Amino acid sequence: MTDILRSWIGGALPDWLIVLIAYLLVTTIVLFYAVGNFIMMVWAERRVVARMQDRLGPNRVGPAGLLQPIADAVKMFTKEDIVPRNADRWVHLLAPIVALAPVAMMLAVIPWGRGWEPVDLNVALLYMVAVSAVSGVGLMMAGWGSNNKFALLGAMRAVAQLVSYEIPAVTALLTVVILAGGMSLLELPYMQAGVPIMGATILCGDPAGCSPLLYSTITSFPGSPNEPVQALDLGLGWWVFTPVGFLGFLVFFIAALAEGERTPFDIPEADSEIVAGYMTEYSGMKFATFYIAQYILNFALSALAATAFLGGWQGPGVAALANMGGPWVHVAAALSAFYLLAKIWILFFVMIWLRGAFPRLRVDQLMDFAWKLLLPLALVNIVSASLMVGLTQWTSAQWGGLISLDGFAPWQRQLIAVLVTAIINIAAAYWILAINQRPKQVEWDEEELIAAS
Amino acid sequence: MGQYQSPCLVLCMNTLITVLFLIFAALILTSAIMTVTVKNIVHAALWLISSFFGVGALYLLMEAEFLGVAQVLIYVGAVSILILFAIMLTRDLEGSQNRQLTPRWWIALIVPAALFGLLIVPTVMTHAWQLPPPPPAGQPPAISGAQQIGTAFMREYFLPFQVAAILLTVAMIGAIVIAFEERERRRRVLTLVEQVRLRQRQQQRQQPAPRPEPAATAVQTSEATGGET
Repeated sequence: MTDILRSWIGGALPDWLIVLIAYLLVTTIVLFYAVGNFIMMVWAERRVVARMQDRLGPNRVGPAGLLQPIADAVKMFTKEDIVPRNADRWVHLLAPIVALAPVAMMLAVIPWGRGWEPVDLNVALLYMVAVSAVSGVGLMMAGWGSNNKFALLGAMRAVAQLVSYEIPAVTALLTVVILAGGMSLLELPYMQAGVPIMGATILCGDPAGCSPLLYSTITSFPGSPNEPVQALDLGLGWWVFTPVGFLGFLVFFIAALAEGERTPFDIPEADSEIVAGYMTEYSGMKFATFYIAQYILNFALSALAATAFLGGWQGPGVAALANMGGPWVHVAAALSAFYLLAKIWILFFVMIWLRGAFPRLRVDQLMDFAWKLLLPLALVNIVSASLMVGLTQWTSAQWGGLISLDGFAPWQRQLIAVLVTAIINIAAAYWILAINQRPKQVEWDEEELIAAS
Repeated sequence: MGQYQSPCLVLCMNTLITVLFLIFAALILTSAIMTVTVKNIVHAALWLISSFFGVGALYLLMEAEFLGVAQVLIYVGAVSILILFAIMLTRDLEGSQNRQLTPRWWIALIVPAALFGLLIVPTVMTHAWQLPPPPPAGQPPAISGAQQIGTAFMREYFLPFQVAAILLTVAMIGAIVIAFEERERRRRVLTLVEQVRLRQRQQQRQQPAPRPEPAATAVQTSEATGGET
């Protein structure tokens, strides 16, 4: 962006101003992108849930009700802003801002397409986790500042859920850090090139005979730096196709549902129990700000899940177009941005689907699910991820002479690693599920309870 | 940044960094002062959070990205939320009765001042002040914070790292022991179905049936269903 601007108006303005304008432009584009998606998401959610519940949903404003979100926005703007008399004014006012700002900051590090990344941060994964944790402060402020018992209860529930589901989410992301050998999000889609399961390990035997449409030069490898190779690249070497990535994706996506307060985990705003949770005392634009924050959080978490496990912008045809050079590189970028958007929307559709399918969890079920099922699975997955990296990348000297795989071809090592991790993950998942399904001992004695009461 | 670099870029960046530093420093100091002076304890916690944020921003300004992000994750995301939880679970929320200065305020002033002096005086005395700072000699080596910190923890500072880990584990186990009631003392919260069944059984107990034998079988069947669930 900076370079484009510089070539256009390079002489007219000082350089630092151009850099500043470029940053502002990129920020504006990303925020508009997210808010545009938010509008479409609200419409899609209402229509899809209506379809699942055999209703029509909003269908009056515009074609198929597409303009309904705009009508809603106008309604939100014109509503009266009510602040309870005993509320803490400043905290009540600042809470929606503190809830929305970190969520918007999450969008800064996601690679939206091939070469379309607003900021390249080398700790991007940790940054995403850290910044999303900050919005908990906003929820707490909303709950306390409203001076309402439902709001406080809702905030307590929200923050307790946020804090406890952060642990499986971070542990699942740790497998990505191990596989990638770093925390940069920019590198992740490049590492997920290749073909399903095998990744970028099917190499080109004869450099002259390999078509650039099928084979591309892979420079960045998961784990350790290797010299660039020509590998079969269909843009489908997503980590979700390997056992490690699959388990990691499952755990992360479920934890992301809980962090985004989607339906099986929506006890913080359970409207049949505590009105609307921490949003109870908010009206007009402040309520809309919370609403936007929630949907953009879902959008950003879907984008993170897609980038970390589903290959990000990687997809069939992107590498081939990029290899053709010239103006085709821009076509490749547009196609890659489309792939990422499609993945985000598929994940969001699954979220809506779960909302249509599942009832709300109880709070003890919620905690049991996080601590007894997701966390052990994620921990086992870390061991598998380490084995995966060890089996595919390490030399026998790094193994200390215990295992020597130096003689094998990359695809053979990949196959061995996939088999070993599949066995470990399936066995562990089966075992942990069996433990959790074991009937509980009756902890209470009926006779004793009768005597007590 | 491309090949073309205007002379302003380096100079302006330095001025910009200085200005940003001043802004963040002012933010940290104001928030810290507000933390200890406001009456409302929740407001104090919120000011503390903003002070933590400022420190994280300072780390980012020094290009210690990992430290900055970890500061936000641990202090803003975890510690301050814990503080807020603790405040909201205590009774006297406003804290209006609490005096902020105790009669022994001078001890509280001397001890931290002495400790701070102990830390800062040797640093100031032994530091070679070069004002204005010399221009950086060449390109500084590439720093990848997370990897360096990880290697340092696993090599040079292995023992302190392990000691800290054990300390945290001990604290965690201690918290569980304190918070966890003994199993036999714990009253389980009954679900609605269990409450209804319990009430039925109590009613059966209270009205002794005229004929003993059917009543006994009824009790046995309900016990059997209770055992299954």
